[in-house]
Amino acid sequence: MFRLLLLLSLTWPAIASEERARQVIDEMEQLYRGDSSDATMTMQVQTPNYNRTLTMSSQSYGKDYAFFRIHAPKKDRGVATLKRAEEMWNFFPKINKVIKVPPSMMMGSWMGSDFTNDDLVKETQLIDAYSLVLLETDNQYKVTLTPKEQTVTVWDKIEYTMSKDPLLPLSQAFFDEDGEKIRELTFHEPKEYNGKLMPSILEMRPLNKEGHLTRIMYDDIKFNVPEITKDTFSLRNLKSRF
Amino acid sequence: MLTFQIAFRNILRQKRRSLLTGLSMTGGYVLFVFGFSLLEGSYGNIIDIFTLDSTGHIQIHQDDYRDRPKIYKTIQNQEQIKVALTDNPEIKSFTPRVFSPALAYAGDKTAPSRIIGIDPVLEPTVSRLVQKVAKGTYFSTSPNPDGYYEAMIGRGLHIRLKLDVGDELVLISSGADGSIANDIFVVSAIIGNKTSFDRMAVYLPLVAAQEFLSLGDDVHEYALLVNDKDANETIARGLSAQLSELTVAPWQEVEATFYRTMQADKQGNYFSMGLITFIVFIGVLNTVLMSVLERTREFGVLRAIGSRPMQLVRLISLETFILAFISVMVGFLLILPFVYWFAEVGMLMPEPIDMGGIEFQHLKGEMSARVFWIPMAFILGTAVLISIPPGFRAARILPKEAMGSH
Repeated sequence: MFRLLLLLSLTWPAIASEERARQVIDEMEQLYRGDSSDATMTMQVQTPNYNRTLTMSSQSYGKDYAFFRIHAPKKDRGVATLKRAEEMWNFFPKINKVIKVPPSMMMGSWMGSDFTNDDLVKETQLIDAYSLVLLETDNQYKVTLTPKEQTVTVWDKIEYTMSKDPLLPLSQAFFDEDGEKIRELTFHEPKEYNGKLMPSILEMRPLNKEGHLTRIMYDDIKFNVPEITKDTFSLRNLKSRF
Repeated sequence: MLTFQIAFRNILRQKRRSLLTGLSMTGGYVLFVFGFSLLEGSYGNIIDIFTLDSTGHIQIHQDDYRDRPKIYKTIQNQEQIKVALTDNPEIKSFTPRVFSPALAYAGDKTAPSRIIGIDPVLEPTVSRLVQKVAKGTYFSTSPNPDGYYEAMIGRGLHIRLKLDVGDELVLISSGADGSIANDIFVVSAIIGNKTSFDRMAVYLPLVAAQEFLSLGDDVHEYALLVNDKDANETIARGLSAQLSELTVAPWQEVEATFYRTMQADKQGNYFSMGLITFIVFIGVLNTVLMSVLERTREFGVLRAIGSRPMQLVRLISLETFILAFISVMVGFLLILPFVYWFAEVGMLMPEPIDMGGIEFQHLKGEMSARVFWIPMAFILGTAVLISIPPGFRAARILPKEAMGSH
């Protein structure tokens, strides 16, 4: 009897929280993604061997389309990444070449940072590919994401923490199949950009690599930009020099 | 002196037997020297091939770069090292290098490749890269009029990418600062052949490679040649003490697998050479024993007139030694021209051995003092050694019994 009760108490809220968790994440992401966005940002990559700062612009449209272009340093100027649904291309102006990122390279580093190519492609599809369990406290939502059976991923579990008021992401922790925390993405210093409050700093810290840290700082971000349409995200645009 | 005279006369007494015994020792010596010379020579040749092809006699790296290469394990402080290497009178030449894997593009074809950044001026003082240029011209440091640096590619890349001299080559790799290195180069030469170790290599001028990989002035390796190649391990130890923050390794460590195989093979060969000598000396032992037996009466007389037993041992040892010495000297004179010819000219092989684009057509021997004196010492030593038991046999002879025998 006790066991049955326990079982019920475990499963019943889980089913209920799945929908609720989806709502929370959706609501929050909608809050600061908008239909389209146009941002400039600075990325700092810290490793024991080198430190690097890149400034870049990024455009996004819905969940599926994103575009990044590096402005500085001079050596990397013009290097661009186009993401369309689950596909990704890099463009290198110096050699005038578009290179599709093959599936085998998805877990590879993006532009030498601690973000993987996969992060860029899949980040927005978390709620579709994972089962969600919501845990609510007084001022935080904690969503535990476990991959659905058909989802191909290296993560066994992702813990997504958000603050309730204002509704903002706080951290994402990624666990491997041994239950070990491999890396952590944290969100800092919420700022208002054109009427929307959102974290201005993202820090990705791989916990299995000491001294590694990637920090993205939003310098400016505009939402619902009419110039950005689906056509912005074409291979032809990727190759255009600027 | 008297013993010496007697020993010498004893050898001449049985001329035919001495001649035959001597001949077998001469033969043993000649075979030993010849085998030794060829073994040392062919290994010396192979060692020369790869040390001069690219390895150098000594290599310098940062930490464990040799075993676990990482692009940022670089040698900094170039000036200090250059001064140390230039000032060392034992070092003939040195050259800096950088390495990185890269993806090579030409048209719509791609191939994995290995970038080797070299100093176009210093590299030829250490390796045979210039001789390995099969087509085109050895590159220079400066970019061409269009601003592209020149690259030399291995034969394998030439075939896989259908890339020829004058064509554009695109390289993509990751830089030391985490950036994606990408640039266009113009092929100036094709290097080596299909079996070269560098068949998938892209040689770039050092400055171009450093810029491409965002390495600044840093390099991954110094390869050096020394004046006395047999002393390279000692020189490496000296350098290691001097450049304590770096890892200095002689080629014996760099090519450890080859070195161990070579040592094992050499030991096997020494053993078989020792075996030849052993068989030769079974014959010699027989002869000495025979001559002792034959001269029982004579030794009895010697003992009777007051020779010490040890004098007899010495006499027999000396006889064998003198005979062995004469045989070895004759053997030396016989084999000297052969070894000389093998060392200088070498035997033309029906199929030339190709080592990374350089052809070796001759089987060569080594001509050095040790090729002669090691077998010499071995044979003389063995001769003295095997003459001791018969010597004691003679020493134990009792005059009374001996003179009664026939």
